[in-house]
Amino acid sequence: MQVKEVMSKEVITVQRSTTLKELLKSFGKFHIFPLVPVVDGDRHLRGIVSFHNLVDIFSSYHPDVLKLVPFLDEEEVDIFKIDISEDIGNLVVVEDIMETEFVSIPEDAAIEEAYKLMRLHLKEEFPVINKAGWLVGMVGIFDIIQAVFRQKGIIK
Amino acid sequence: MNTILGLGFILTAGLFSAKLIKRIKFPAVTAYLLLGILIGPSLFKLVPEGILNSSGLISNIVLGIIAFGIGQNFSRYHLRKIGRPIIWISILEACGAWALVTSAFLLILKQPFYVSLLFGAIASATAPAATVMVIREYRARGNFTDTLLGVVAIDDAWCLIIFAISLAISQAVYTHMMAASFLIKVFFNSLLSIFGAFVLGAILAMLLSLLYRFIRTQTELLIFTLGFIFLNIGLAIWLHLSVLLSSMFLGAILINSHRYSFKFFDALKCIDSPLFLLFFVLAGANLEMHILPKLGIIGLTYLIFRVIGKMMGASLGAKISNAPESIRRYLGLGLVPQAGVALGVALIAKSDFPIVGEMIFTTIIATTVIYELIGPLCTKYALHKAGEIPEGH
Repeated sequence: MQVKEVMSKEVITVQRSTTLKELLKSFGKFHIFPLVPVVDGDRHLRGIVSFHNLVDIFSSYHPDVLKLVPFLDEEEVDIFKIDISEDIGNLVVVEDIMETEFVSIPEDAAIEEAYKLMRLHLKEEFPVINKAGWLVGMVGIFDIIQAVFRQKGIIK
Repeated sequence: MNTILGLGFILTAGLFSAKLIKRIKFPAVTAYLLLGILIGPSLFKLVPEGILNSSGLISNIVLGIIAFGIGQNFSRYHLRKIGRPIIWISILEACGAWALVTSAFLLILKQPFYVSLLFGAIASATAPAATVMVIREYRARGNFTDTLLGVVAIDDAWCLIIFAISLAISQAVYTHMMAASFLIKVFFNSLLSIFGAFVLGAILAMLLSLLYRFIRTQTELLIFTLGFIFLNIGLAIWLHLSVLLSSMFLGAILINSHRYSFKFFDALKCIDSPLFLLFFVLAGANLEMHILPKLGIIGLTYLIFRVIGKMMGASLGAKISNAPESIRRYLGLGLVPQAGVALGVALIAKSDFPIVGEMIFTTIIATTVIYELIGPLCTKYALHKAGEIPEGH
């Protein structure tokens, strides 16, 4: 069975220019912030935003280059006490916080491969792309488990 | 104290001493070093012999892991993104410190060429962690801050290359001083060390990519990555190649050739902290206190000329790349801190040159402590002069 047979095709996406305020508003009714794909106008997948990136907004400095620094002390940020300006909602855009290094899965990959990647990378969902790199859906671990239950006849 | 008890003591004491020193706004590295000096054989003698004897083993492992991580700097994406000013400034400030410290040791202190060259190479390193700490503390932002961070992040990569070349030349000079074919041997040895390290890194990166398809879980990924880093270090030692360069090349080739290469680097993050702690405490413990009084003028020359070299190099790099005036004037001051990579390469110098090695290593530890204390103040001053520390900080 291929990933495209089990994935969700209706996905909420954001663009690089989406502001933090708009991003938070889009997911205001959610209990858990999902993995949000960042796409260009042509649905080319450019990055992802996870709840980690939202927490990073409270950090003083969070560009990619910090990942290259050895012996870096962890920054202890108390998100309840830190002063943060109201303007940040409009000043911060998705491009400032999104991850550009992420795992995506081709739509024609087998669901076994998707499950293996989820275990390997400790993730519960992946964006699904076509051959041109366009976002075509999202696949989560529950989609795969449901497919397995269906194959075994436990659910119809 | 038995070895395991000693390890437990170092890890817990290191953790709490870092927490303590963070209250007075200094990086954890400084706490580890000072703790090492305190509990080392020169003072309280609390480090068991077994751990002290394995300093070489631990430093080789830690340096291999660090150099592997530093290889990420050479990803095509990163190199495209950082731009001309950072490349120019970082290369010239590293080479500036290298050239100036080497010249000062050779011409003013009349030290042998190979000793001067080693001091010069070590001087090219900086301490990005200390710089980041200051940037975070004062919530600095702007073009100057971005450039400074970009420069300190890639500087260690240049340092590893400069040190590998200098070490190869120094070893050749030291071994073949009397040989008639001296220059050819120096050239051949240097080339072999660098090219061999590249080939080793490339072969292991290919093998790693090939075997990756058998890896199924995060635990396996950690064991797999660590296994390849150890294979690389061990083979480099066995083949008399540069451990630093082969590890860096392994990281650099991997980051450019494998789709999910960033996962190999991420996997190491859960085990590197205790190893780094141990490395710094042992570096402090290896300090030969009795040599310190003899190092006054050597230490002072190193302290002064390294900073001048970095400032002049950074300024020249900024001029060539048409960077703004504030970067031209003050960025060099932000590069004063020195820590992990300098200590690591000094440890290699110590083990490769038994006679002068202790003098080099002790000078680097003593100057590291001084640089780690005054460096953050210089970085803060540079950020302040560049106008990138917000009001109220």
